[in-house]
Amino acid sequence: MSNEAQRRADRLRELPFERATASFNGSFGSFVRSIREIAGQRELLGLLVRRELKARYKDSSLGFLWSLIRPLTMLVIYYVAIGQFLGAARGVPDFAIFVFAGLTIWGLYSEIVTGGTTSIIGNAGLIKKVSLPREIFPLAATGSALFNFIVQFIVLIVATIVLGQAPLSWNLLYVPASIAIVLIWGVALGLLLSAVNVYLRDVQYLVEVAMLILFWASPIVYAWSFVVDAAARSGITWLTDLYLANPVTIAVLGFQKGMWVAGSSESVIDGQTIPPQPWPADLDLRIAVMLGIGIVFAIICQRVFQKLQGNFAQEI
Amino acid sequence: MNTAMRPDIQNPPVVIRTSDVSKRFILRKDKALKERIVNFGRSQKHRSDFWALRDVAFEITAGTSVGLVGANGSGKSTMLKIIGGIIQTDTGFVERRGRVAALLELGAGFHPDLTGRENVYLNGSILGLSQKQTAEYFDSIVEFSEIGEFIDTQVKFYSSGMYVRLAFAIAVHVDPDILLVDEVLAVGDEPFQAKCMNKIREFQRDGRTIVFVSHSAPQIEDLCDRVVVLSHGRIVYDGETEGGIAALRRTFKG
Ligand SMILES: Nc1ncnc2c1ncn2[C@@H]1O[C@H](COP(=O)(O)OP(=O)(O)OP(=O)(O)O)[C@@H](O)[C@H]1O
Ligand SMILES: [Mg+2]
Repeated sequence: MSNEAQRRADRLRELPFERATASFNGSFGSFVRSIREIAGQRELLGLLVRRELKARYKDSSLGFLWSLIRPLTMLVIYYVAIGQFLGAARGVPDFAIFVFAGLTIWGLYSEIVTGGTTSIIGNAGLIKKVSLPREIFPLAATGSALFNFIVQFIVLIVATIVLGQAPLSWNLLYVPASIAIVLIWGVALGLLLSAVNVYLRDVQYLVEVAMLILFWASPIVYAWSFVVDAAARSGITWLTDLYLANPVTIAVLGFQKGMWVAGSSESVIDGQTIPPQPWPADLDLRIAVMLGIGIVFAIICQRVFQKLQGNFAQEI
Repeated sequence: MNTAMRPDIQNPPVVIRTSDVSKRFILRKDKALKERIVNFGRSQKHRSDFWALRDVAFEITAGTSVGLVGANGSGKSTMLKIIGGIIQTDTGFVERRGRVAALLELGAGFHPDLTGRENVYLNGSILGLSQKQTAEYFDSIVEFSEIGEFIDTQVKFYSSGMYVRLAFAIAVHVDPDILLVDEVLAVGDEPFQAKCMNKIREFQRDGRTIVFVSHSAPQIEDLCDRVVVLSHGRIVYDGETEGGIAALRRTFKG
């Protein structure tokens, strides 16, 4: 018995002391260290993602099917209301694929941001009791958003194949780039907003409203060509530049360019010839820029998160 | 005397070291944006701060059981949370070594929507165990907690006693070097409390370090080798148990 105690003591004597809370020193090294810490908690992250998904659908009999029913319902609504009633489908070939592609990538972004924003408050029970890198919570929200995205994405791919519109071209390379933009910006905003939301609860409602607005600020249910036409008609050219300054818009455009083949060729609807989408000429460059700025932004957001996270447990 | 049961440890190392720890809470009257904006210029009026801990310094060596006592609001739970790395200090720091398991104010971090089983894995993972390691401990955790088939019920349907049972069972099965216990045993029924006490004695024989917050003087006398008394965030006594209980009573008088 006492042997065991002595062995434990001897082992502990060899261990280095650790600070109970990693104090934040504001250097770049701490960013790298945070990433390493989180990587060390991969297994926990996986559990939290599964937890997030499970907790969400736990009490429902249809379970995770709900993650599909919502976007499919939205698809039907937009297809009927905007496509048919308002006539957007007359100017957009394969309107269903177009809308679903936009909804899918937008859904990823909005779910990361809204889920991330409430992730710290929503996990108050854990945050008040256990010590771990708190970035894990917005990241878990991201993980569960990614899961839903992948499910939708598979449906989208199957749909394109069934409709004979399989997106087999070099444009497919835009898809991972667009997803990367959404992930980087989404995670950055998720981190930032989740931390601010602890101190200012209005943020989560603000985010909901902002998402409603931003949904219409990207070409999801109307085509990019409509924006170009509108800008040309009004004669204000910087309008399109302003429109393209939104990283999600770039991601949506890239995603559509990759997944929606009909948008890149001339097509005929009801005897009317529709020219291909006037994709922004410098889309590649814009994607690269958005990725670059996004990374810088993410680093800043993570720093802010680190600064604020010390007081999470007592503020919740 | 209870200390007679302790194993002799030659040259025990320090495992928890706190250096002039102070903690200040800022009490804001409101969290809503509207009030924040309305009160912006006068924000000083709408916040008051006070020190929950002031220059708290002590060292705990491996294998000791320390009772942390004091009146309500004296800063015990705050100190334990700082040791557990859950909140930050404003000045000073806490250093520690070895695996820490914490039972803070009503139990471990559980997620209400998940079953007991899932929470066991979640907590194991938080404490740094792999899934496989947790799986090895799983049966004895369930057995110890005696919650039986409820292990597959969502924990939101647990009674507070069941909640603490599971939390305690997890904390003592992950092989911690340091165990932080904040008043959680009070909600367990008598047999379970006795079981916990036995487990804690076993821990003491294993040479594990325990920091124990309790309002029960008999429990403290029974378990601790050393008592630290807090009053208004300051240490007013640090020494052997009997004197500690007397010092605690003195703080109540004023
Ligand atoms: N998150 C917080 N925000 C503001 N004040 C807090 C917070 N947590 C604790 N306090 C204050 O700090 C002081 C010490 O609290 P603490 O919980 O450490 O007391 P305690 O010694 O554990 O008391 P008890 O015996 O009632 O459990 C109290 O006055 C409490 O109001
Ligand atoms: Mg307390």
